Amino acid sequence: MTHDTSAAAAAHRTGLPGAPIIVARDLRKRYGSLQAVDGVSFEVAEGEVFGILGPNGAGKTTTLEMIEGMRAIDSGSAVVDGIDVSADPRGVKARIGIQLQASSFFDELNLVELLDLFGHLYDRDVDAMALLAQVELTEKARSQVRTLSGGQKQRFSIASALVNEPRVLFLDEPTTGLDPQARRHLWGLVRAISARGHTVVLTTHYMEEAEELCDRVAIMDRGRIVALDPPERLVDALIGRGFTKARVERLANLEDVFLDLTGHDLREGD
Amino acid sequence: MRPFGLRLGMLWALFVASVLMFVRNRAAVFFSLFLPLIIMLIFGVLNFEGSTTIELGLADEAQNEASQRLAGGLAAYDYLELSSGTRDAQLAALEAGDLDFVLLIPPGFDPQPGQATGLVAYASTADPQQSQVGQGLLQQAVGQAVFAPPGGAPGGGLGPPPVNFESVQSRDLGYIDFLVPGIVGMTVMQLGLFGVAFGFVHLKRTGALRRLFATPTSPAYFLAAQVGSRLIIGFVQVAILFGIGIWFGLQMFGDYATLAVIVLLASMIFLAVGFAIAGWAKNEDQAAPVANLVSLPMMFLSGVFFPRDAMPEFLANVTQFMPLTYVNEALRAVVNEGAGLASLGPQLLGMLVWAAITFVLAVRLFSWE
Repeated sequence: MTHDTSAAAAAHRTGLPGAPIIVARDLRKRYGSLQAVDGVSFEVAEGEVFGILGPNGAGKTTTLEMIEGMRAIDSGSAVVDGIDVSADPRGVKARIGIQLQASSFFDELNLVELLDLFGHLYDRDVDAMALLAQVELTEKARSQVRTLSGGQKQRFSIASALVNEPRVLFLDEPTTGLDPQARRHLWGLVRAISARGHTVVLTTHYMEEAEELCDRVAIMDRGRIVALDPPERLVDALIGRGFTKARVERLANLEDVFLDLTGHDLREGD
Repeated sequence: MRPFGLRLGMLWALFVASVLMFVRNRAAVFFSLFLPLIIMLIFGVLNFEGSTTIELGLADEAQNEASQRLAGGLAAYDYLELSSGTRDAQLAALEAGDLDFVLLIPPGFDPQPGQATGLVAYASTADPQQSQVGQGLLQQAVGQAVFAPPGGAPGGGLGPPPVNFESVQSRDLGYIDFLVPGIVGMTVMQLGLFGVAFGFVHLKRTGALRRLFATPTSPAYFLAAQVGSRLIIGFVQVAILFGIGIWFGLQMFGDYATLAVIVLLASMIFLAVGFAIAGWAKNEDQAAPVANLVSLPMMFLSGVFFPRDAMPEFLANVTQFMPLTYVNEALRAVVNEGAGLASLGPQLLGMLVWAAITFVLAVRLFSWE
């Protein structure tokens, strides 16, 4: 990585976006009679962790896939790292890393073989063991993906998305289906990746995950962005409109109890 | 690294991955390699021609009392299996390996003790060892039948041997010679249909293919690697089947280059069928019945295990146009008769037409998702 990560980080902490690495303008996608994405525009600053939230069917994944070059754009435009996605989807794919929602790999190959293969698909040599070390899977190097636990699979999926040292890492619901320990572990991994200077765009259903990880979040509903701001500012704005919770938040919740009882250690013995 | 913009490293990595995925997939290896091998071993061990009789063809050009008596005398021997016919027909049968000897009874046959009988026996060169034993037995049987008629006094004594032997070049084709080309055809079909269709549909359903295209690679590279790896695997399989076949006594009359052309053309047809099914089907449950619907009729009606002559005429007429029938006919012509490409016009035409049809079908039906 050649860009200055501390400057970018400083820029968005102050609430001022750094240079945009993603510019989406009025993206639209229709499936039959369903307008899945209905005029979505936003920018992501370099070095930022950007979250897209929303209920199922809000258009999060479709929006992500259009920006990634994985799905054709009906109208509007997306520019990633200076490259127009519609004009050069492969050029964009070469610069980004993608973790798909239901990522699956070739069953018969082990983790090292898969990472080497992915390296070749980007036309570069990779240090598979170093990548596996980043996601704490060195001891599984010669295993096949199907023998991994849910959390390990997600971590391997992230490792495979890092083989090309991407400018932007896209994570589609990276913690769905994971237990609280594995989820927290993955948060640590995302923070570490962000700290190394990769821009991260993720979707999630978990609000506390968005609060933990994201510098800014876009909330989508019915194919549109209904709010876009840093999480704390969205909360402040809601309170400012006179909102009060029906139930007063206690100092701890059930998840804190669960983690207190079962510990933060990863459970991957299955 | 990139002559003509071709990313050889990428292609090679995908090819290696494709080969590894195949050889590590136990089901794929079992159905496309071990099953044909097991079938061949079973049929090879059973060895249907363990008969100890001598198949003797009579060509009676005398048609007199003496020749009738000779035929009658020979019929008494259990180890002789007699058939009658014209000289030409019997010699043709001998050349084709259907007979062991042809005994020609010359016009005006009238054997006298102590004199040459004028009898000539043509012997197959196919199995010299068996021929030696057969010649001795035949000499004895003819001597007895000619000079020691039932009820008569033993005559003869020390005359010239009653039969003169002549060798005839002939092919001794056994069941293994019939079976191996058929199994080779079947294996090529199974590899295309099941090796491609199932592996590919699995990748499609699980999303592994989608993950692959989240990288800047091109579908053309993936397809080229798949086709290339299946062709290599196919040739290795054919080589193994031939090796085992030759160990079981298979005789190869043709040349291997011609064989390779037929195998290549056959692979093209069935790979295209495999890709057509894989492109159309959304999951394995859709692919399986279609693949079986295509392969089962051909396995039993295209002459893999049994000659198609045994079929009712109507069925034979219909099934002669099936792709595997052309493939098997061509393979047998090369292996059993030493045919070259020039003499395989109809079969090659049939295969080319099928290759064209299946290619168009594959392109039309193919989809990545």
